[in-house]
Amino acid sequence: MVTTVKDVKTGAEALTTDKELTAPAVKPVTLPSENPVVYPLTLPEPAARTQTPAVGQRASRPDGRLHGLGQTKYIDDLTFPHMIHAKILRSAHPHARIISVDTSEAEAMPGVFATLTGKEIPVNSFGPTLQDQPVLAGDIVRHRGDGVAAVAAVTEQIAADALEKIKVEYEPLPAVFDPVEALKDEIKVHAPNSNIYASKVIRKGDVDKALAESDHVFHREFRTQFVEHVPLEPHSSVAMWDGNGRVTIYSSLGRITLGREDLSRTLRIPQNRVRLIGTIVGGNFGGKNEITNEPILALLSKKTGRPVKCTYTRGDEFVSSTIRHPFIMDYTTGVNNEGKILARKIRLVLDGGAYCSWTGTTIGKGSILAPGPYNIDNLLVEAYAVYTNKTTTGAMRGFGAPQVCFAYESQMDDIAVALGIDPLEIRLRNAFSENSFSPTSQVLQSVAIKESLLQASDRFGWKE
Amino acid sequence: MRPFDYVAPASAQEAVALLAEHGDHAKVLAGGTDLIVDLKHHAGNVSLLVDVTEIPEFLGIEETDEGLRIGSAAKYGEIMEHALCREYTPEIVAASHTVGAVQTRNLGTIGGNLVTCVPSADSAPSLLVLDADVTVAGTDGNRRMPLTDFFVGPRKTSLAPHELLVDIRIPKANLGKPSHFLKFGLRKGQALALVNAAAALWLDDKGAITEPRIALGAVAPKPVRCPKAEAVIAGKQPSDELLKEAAEMAVTECKPIDDFRASANYRRQLVRTMTYRCLKRSVEIASQR
Amino acid sequence: MLVKLKVNGELRQADVPPETTLLKMLREDLGLTGAKLGCDVGDCGTCTVIVDGDSLNSCLMLAAKANGREITTIEGLATSADLHPLQKSFEELGALQCGFCGPGMLMSAKNLLDKNPEPSVHEIKDALSGNLCRCTGYTKIIEAIQDAGRELSGAAAGN
Repeated sequence: MVTTVKDVKTGAEALTTDKELTAPAVKPVTLPSENPVVYPLTLPEPAARTQTPAVGQRASRPDGRLHGLGQTKYIDDLTFPHMIHAKILRSAHPHARIISVDTSEAEAMPGVFATLTGKEIPVNSFGPTLQDQPVLAGDIVRHRGDGVAAVAAVTEQIAADALEKIKVEYEPLPAVFDPVEALKDEIKVHAPNSNIYASKVIRKGDVDKALAESDHVFHREFRTQFVEHVPLEPHSSVAMWDGNGRVTIYSSLGRITLGREDLSRTLRIPQNRVRLIGTIVGGNFGGKNEITNEPILALLSKKTGRPVKCTYTRGDEFVSSTIRHPFIMDYTTGVNNEGKILARKIRLVLDGGAYCSWTGTTIGKGSILAPGPYNIDNLLVEAYAVYTNKTTTGAMRGFGAPQVCFAYESQMDDIAVALGIDPLEIRLRNAFSENSFSPTSQVLQSVAIKESLLQASDRFGWKE
Repeated sequence: MRPFDYVAPASAQEAVALLAEHGDHAKVLAGGTDLIVDLKHHAGNVSLLVDVTEIPEFLGIEETDEGLRIGSAAKYGEIMEHALCREYTPEIVAASHTVGAVQTRNLGTIGGNLVTCVPSADSAPSLLVLDADVTVAGTDGNRRMPLTDFFVGPRKTSLAPHELLVDIRIPKANLGKPSHFLKFGLRKGQALALVNAAAALWLDDKGAITEPRIALGAVAPKPVRCPKAEAVIAGKQPSDELLKEAAEMAVTECKPIDDFRASANYRRQLVRTMTYRCLKRSVEIASQR
Repeated sequence: MLVKLKVNGELRQADVPPETTLLKMLREDLGLTGAKLGCDVGDCGTCTVIVDGDSLNSCLMLAAKANGREITTIEGLATSADLHPLQKSFEELGALQCGFCGPGMLMSAKNLLDKNPEPSVHEIKDALSGNLCRCTGYTKIIEAIQDAGRELSGAAAGN
């Protein structure tokens, strides 16, 4: 698969996968001269672990009792005097320009207290890596899960009915769904910017030379799919804007300090005026690591002077909360006759969906872990994250690690089968050991992968 | 859900009259496992729910002179635990067990499942192979029809808009008829069937197959019988080859579709294997008698 | 419409619109927030309660249909004196992590043990097929139910 891509930094140079990328220049680390660090480090025995009395003892969760009694209060279990309910209208198109949003008919409905559109958000952008995501869409909707307008009403049902009365005029734009297509930048999700919004290159040794010298070269493309976290507790928040200009928000958010920064930014008020309270989270798995509807509820509360709650439906959860990045993984691996990996060349394309979210972390971890836990002297990993007009992908357990694990372990099996080597044996021949270097040349300590493999294979009777 | 009224009439005639009066704005509520979900998502213009689960003739499971009568409002959980069903129609019990999960089986009714008439209705094949017929209540009183005629197409039965399904009857001659039901879904629990299959047959004194019945679900616009496959084995001595030949014929009698759950081709493979297994198991049960 | 129920042994009533589900009535009118809204379509099981001895999805049942019936929710599982054996074993064996599935899971488990005090692993899995958990992987839940089952049947046998 040869695809034309552009350098994110310069935005100009056309590159192809078979053309080599220049790795970022490595700055030599300057060490304090009087106290030079010698690699590999000799570290003290981790005595603390063996001495801790807690090890080996059964620990029970401090909140287990209330969970079992049904007394734990999750956000949706909270209610406040005069509380009203909000619902969010989702985009009718995967990619469109919003010509107009008319909420007047909805606002006139009995039981409706207020409506909100993207234009009313003080600073309409947020995100943990890039601030590229609007709280409610401004001029452009970039996927079907984008909020276009919100309604606060006396009941959830009235709010839902009011959504149907909101008239949105769209000018549909061509949309791009395939990340490989998106690499071409023919349809831009965030025009005029390139769709490639994050990239990473890891280089070690001379991969082409080593591939040419390998006895066998294996190539395969692996793909993984979208995965929604499906926390059993849907996202839920309640916001209360008080007369002193302070906002109190109860939220199912897992990262409240980060959330407070985003709230302060989007609402354009100092952080000390934002009181964000996280209680028990009913399942996060990475899907509740950033704000979703909190600024909307805060502003609706400001407009109405009432506590405003919004609990996502399962549908909202699937279309508008973040999900796991699908990866397209191109693996070329050179081995010698004994199955020792000599070189590995990897290209990762991450389907980023409409907004960046936690892609920065995902592309980082994904790239570093892509070669696998194996000693490989010659490496090239190139990773690109691209925008598409689909549900935003973000953090989910492992930040990219499970996707690349699927690829490198599948390829290890391919190689083992082709060379007639036992799949366990080929891993033992290549696996990291104490003081191995990671793909980014960190020295690895407490490495027990071979012992773990041997012990596990003993226990499930691999040899039999 | 949008506002609606709720009534629970005490007789079929009262319910039929309400439905006739309110037309499209009224919906029949039994277990609610489909209807309530529909009302939450596609509100439509429903102003009245007519709950039929308090009508005495819709309730209960009993043995009559004609055979076994299962009230249309009998819940799956009830059928699974009922001594008569367990004894006479174990495959209806087995099919009931494959519906949803415990909680939905304690709400959902067998009549509701048949009336929705989705091709994958789990209760249909095991009833079809026992030649079940149904009682329908309308403005002119009750009428009876074979279950095969009750199904018309996807989500379409021969019920007129105001008519109600009263009960399902299994003829006395078919109680205890050797039968087997199999469901294949993408998960073991809470899954829609990719294919449902059921078979029933007797072996006569000479060991030949008589009155064979084969029914399939989820592979045609409605749950279907397979008369050609039945003809392959009728009157013959059962053998592996014969049963396989019948299964092969059943494949030609279904019209599965490609969808996101499975391809038509995959479903045809399932039909072949499952029909064969249902027949084989039915023969085994019959020969143990 | 006025709906009268016996909830956890207490007579309760509320005047609710006919389109109110039993779950909504329990949570919003009776203040019993133990049963949760997870999917609202009867798939996830977080809303499970026991009605007249059978566990069901309270999100799919109209409150009107529960009129005059006896409901047990998670709040009715423990007595003022002691936890239910299931609550003890779920807590001790770490079967609850985020806890959101817990109330429904425990009610399904109670429904099972009421009918089958010593279930096999297969029977437990079958009984829990309508309850999703995203944290535990179910292993500890199954162990906890077996553990509670042993305690309950031991108590019944007078051990």
